[in-house]
Amino acid sequence: MTHATGTASVITGAAARVVDAVKVYGSGDTEVRALDGVGVAFPAGRFTAIMGPSGSGKSTLMHCAAGLDTLTSGAAFIGDTELGALGDKRLTMLRRDRIGFVFQAFNLLPTLTVAENITLPMDLAGRRGDPAWTDSLIDVVGLRDRLHHRPAELSGGQQQRVAVARAFAGRPDVVFADEPTGNLDSRSGAEVLGLLADTVRELGRTVVMVTHDPVAAAYADEVVFLADGRLVDRMEAPTADRVLDRMQRFVGEGPRSPRTARSLNDTAERKNPS
Amino acid sequence: MSGTRASLRLSMAGLRTHKRRFAGTFFAVLLGVAFLGGTLVMGDTLRSSFDAMFGRATGGTDAVVRGDDMITTPGESFGTRRSVPTRLADEIDRMPGVAAAEPRIEGPGQLLDEDGEPVGGGGPPTLAGNWIADKDLNSYQIAEGRAPERSGEAVVNRGAAKAGGLDIGDTTTVRTPDPLKVTIVGISTFGGEDAMGQTTFTALTRADAEKHLTAEPGRATSIQVRAGPGESQEELVKTLTPALPEGIEAVTGQEVTEENQDQIAGQFLSGFTAGLLGFAGVAMLVATFSIYNTFAIVVAQRTRDNALLRAIGATRRQIVGQTLAEALVVAVVASLAGLAGGLGIAAGLQALFPAVGFPFPDGDLVVSGLSLALPFATGVLVCLASALAPAIRAGRTAPLAALRETAVDGSGSSRVRALTGGLLIAAGAGLTVYGAVPGGDSADPSVTLTVAGAVVTLAAFVVLGPVASAYAVRILGAPLRRMNGRLARRNALRSPKRTAATATALMIGVAVVSLFTVFGASLKSTMDQTVSRAFAGDVAVRVPAFGPESGALSPKVAPAVAKLPEVEHALGLGTGVARVDDGGTAHAEGNGGGRALTVTDPERMGDVLDLGAVEGSLTGLGTTGVAVSQSEADDHGWQVGSTARFTFTDGEKQPFTVRAVYDRADLAGDYVLTREAWQPHRMQDSDSLVAVAFRDGVSEADGKAAVEGVAERYGNPEVQTRDEFAESSAAGVDMMLTLVYAMLALAVLIALLGIANTLTLAVHERTRELGLLRAVGQTRAQLRAMVRWESVLVAAFGTVGGLTLGAFLGWAMTRATDSSGDGVFTVPPVQLSIVALVGITAGALAAWRPSRRAARLDVLGAIATE
Repeated sequence: MTHATGTASVITGAAARVVDAVKVYGSGDTEVRALDGVGVAFPAGRFTAIMGPSGSGKSTLMHCAAGLDTLTSGAAFIGDTELGALGDKRLTMLRRDRIGFVFQAFNLLPTLTVAENITLPMDLAGRRGDPAWTDSLIDVVGLRDRLHHRPAELSGGQQQRVAVARAFAGRPDVVFADEPTGNLDSRSGAEVLGLLADTVRELGRTVVMVTHDPVAAAYADEVVFLADGRLVDRMEAPTADRVLDRMQRFVGEGPRSPRTARSLNDTAERKNPS
Repeated sequence: MSGTRASLRLSMAGLRTHKRRFAGTFFAVLLGVAFLGGTLVMGDTLRSSFDAMFGRATGGTDAVVRGDDMITTPGESFGTRRSVPTRLADEIDRMPGVAAAEPRIEGPGQLLDEDGEPVGGGGPPTLAGNWIADKDLNSYQIAEGRAPERSGEAVVNRGAAKAGGLDIGDTTTVRTPDPLKVTIVGISTFGGEDAMGQTTFTALTRADAEKHLTAEPGRATSIQVRAGPGESQEELVKTLTPALPEGIEAVTGQEVTEENQDQIAGQFLSGFTAGLLGFAGVAMLVATFSIYNTFAIVVAQRTRDNALLRAIGATRRQIVGQTLAEALVVAVVASLAGLAGGLGIAAGLQALFPAVGFPFPDGDLVVSGLSLALPFATGVLVCLASALAPAIRAGRTAPLAALRETAVDGSGSSRVRALTGGLLIAAGAGLTVYGAVPGGDSADPSVTLTVAGAVVTLAAFVVLGPVASAYAVRILGAPLRRMNGRLARRNALRSPKRTAATATALMIGVAVVSLFTVFGASLKSTMDQTVSRAFAGDVAVRVPAFGPESGALSPKVAPAVAKLPEVEHALGLGTGVARVDDGGTAHAEGNGGGRALTVTDPERMGDVLDLGAVEGSLTGLGTTGVAVSQSEADDHGWQVGSTARFTFTDGEKQPFTVRAVYDRADLAGDYVLTREAWQPHRMQDSDSLVAVAFRDGVSEADGKAAVEGVAERYGNPEVQTRDEFAESSAAGVDMMLTLVYAMLALAVLIALLGIANTLTLAVHERTRELGLLRAVGQTRAQLRAMVRWESVLVAAFGTVGGLTLGAFLGWAMTRATDSSGDGVFTVPPVQLSIVALVGITAGALAAWRPSRRAARLDVLGAIATE
């Protein structure tokens, strides 16, 4: 495995990918095809956003790609490792050693300090990690003066920054972020997104982020659009406006739910504060 | 009204949804109630069975003529009365209104089996007596064979026959205590049962009984009288009384039966039942903490629900009512199940007792209203009381709490708590220590003060628990360096109150176990030391009985042993009894108040016993002198030359001059008399110990073998070396401890259920965290280890607390019960290590199910939990 440190570098090949991914929940009348034959690769050293209306399967795609959930058929890979072939223990160790996570909320253990939360995956593995790298991450996320605080003593934005540091601490092949700014105000959200983007560009890491927010998606190098469990579009070098336009077309194509429409309107308002 | 119904509906819904959460509470209440109910039912059943048995056995006796004064020494259940002349029976027999009168002669009679080993004993009396010809007057009936007719014939009760493998036609020995060869001609039953309790009874002819069981022929223990037709028991007593000599009384048969019943019920059964109830109490106390914890956690987990209810208009009362209603439903259902379990326990014991050799008289289970109502009420009250504080806390939920994040509960280590606990512990420990070791020279230790102090100390431990848990978990968890251990430590530190309450349940169980362990070990050491310090001989000939007492030994053993060439000294020590007058008239009326006397050759005592410092002289006590222990002398204010007034069982009052005061009463007893002085008042000639010292150069093995050769001729009493003597003196302690441990296993089990329940609830509470941990790479094995370590930490905290408290209270009890001030306090390291190990292992076991449940968690589901 090649680790780029400090400078941006482009690594050929995908950090994570899924092939013909199908995920079915329930059966018979209640059957829901959350993923219906998706094939997508997330290139190493890039920041990819997954977008789509509610129920489009974007979260399911992330969960399956990250080894948190299993596919009904098809295959998911981290690097060259096929996840479907792994048992729970190997899968757990793969998540611990090769994947980082940032969830929407409840990212941190309330009983551990900031520093302990950051090194948690390495501590679970019984590894020392790379102190210099961890140290530089702490500076990047700007939490040096909070290292010995408990999560309850931090703001929501600070908590998410700790989660970002934790996700990158073990230098994983790929970091999956699931609506990382969903619970934050726009300013804190911007900080977290900037952090993710900077880490990819300056430190050569790989990030896959699920979001429904066009502003968030605009931080990515590329956006993939999902609808009805299928990959419907890709967009290089996205901007918030273009993403919003593309999303509006989903709405135009037939609003799937009032919630999607509302959240898109909210996004539009946030983009143009009065 | 409708509000109440709403709370009830909510609690039923809550119970249905969260059945598992209440499983721990349910079982804690169930076990406690079952134990309590089982004890009460069994006590009642035993009592009624024994009552019925005595009624059947002694129902034919209308009056008993006996000595009117009974002298009881402390710790003795059967008192001693003066004997009655047997010729009185003939006089009474001729009186009008009397159908029959026969003397009853009874004395110690240890039956030996074919191999020469004693049958029965070890607590229950082993008796011999005359076979009373009149069927109605004899409490034993012939079941097989016939009554003894010629000298050397005997009837033994069926229980003894079974235990000793004896049958009609067999020849064996009875120690009366002189060995007496007998041929068994009949098997008897007592009131239809194999035995009276576990007593063995060997019946001889009247002539044999008079010859061997009393000091001189012509004396009987009592005279049993049967009334003529139409004569009531009261009328019979009225007729008899004027004809009796001074010091002899007549009482109705009814009265004697009741005395017997009281003796069994009042002394044996009450003690037995009280002991069991004590353990049931400990179990209930432990259950209290488990129940409190369950409700506290359930209420905490339900904060949002309760807040929402408050927000939409539920009153405080309704919220409190909802929680209490849940507790009530659990309590009632669990208590009912517990009652059923209790009946099962009683029935099971009734079946089990005979199997282990304890005859449980036949009879149906006696289930009184009280033995149902009391456990039920206790179960319900304990459950409701434990749920009260959490319920009130639930009622205080602010409506806004629905909108707030539930924070980690860090309370419990407040300064007020630390201060209150500190004061309590100072007061409790102070009181305990003061009770155990009072200042001043003359002050005796007080068990009452010590127990009061112990209760306050226990309360202090409970109050201080949350404060201590934080430190304890940090210290105990310090060796845990790996991530699972560290996480476990943090989890245990999360809610000090919860950790403390969980651990307290175990702490109480462990504390009581440790207390008994320390107390028992100290008792054993004390006995051991007593023997090794006071016994200056090489071997002891004795009949070991339960506790430190000894059975009767033939008085011919000592002279026979003394003749051996290997033996330098052999001294027999017998026992007597007398009432000692304090100088006042306090003892003139009541019964009891007796003191045990040591009857021996005082001049030679120093050869085989170490008496410590002796003031005055042990020589030439004659028939008017007595030697007294220092502590008795202090109590009565005697010095050498003082006068001690004795009243013997024959009613004789005699002043004795205190001729010597000695230091060590361990084996010598408090009063030493010459055989000549005791002679006129004796009931039976017997020794309880023959102390033997060998000549120089005789090895222990050779000497012992020689003494054993002699002992064999006298009914084969045991010959013990110093070590064996010490060990057998303390053998009863081990038996008691085993019983106590068995009883306490229940309390520990309930504590474990509590730990398991708390963990299950905690796992449920932390679903999201566990999901996160699994997502970022905690393996299932690591997660299980984390839960297990938390459990072990909590258990270790409880165990260490319990050991500390138990050792302290064990020390206090040892001191408090030791009025002579020379008892030994021992902390048995091996036993206590085992207790610690069991406590901690139990913690690991308690985590078994919760950890597996936690490990089975679906990662995605856990993360997605809203």
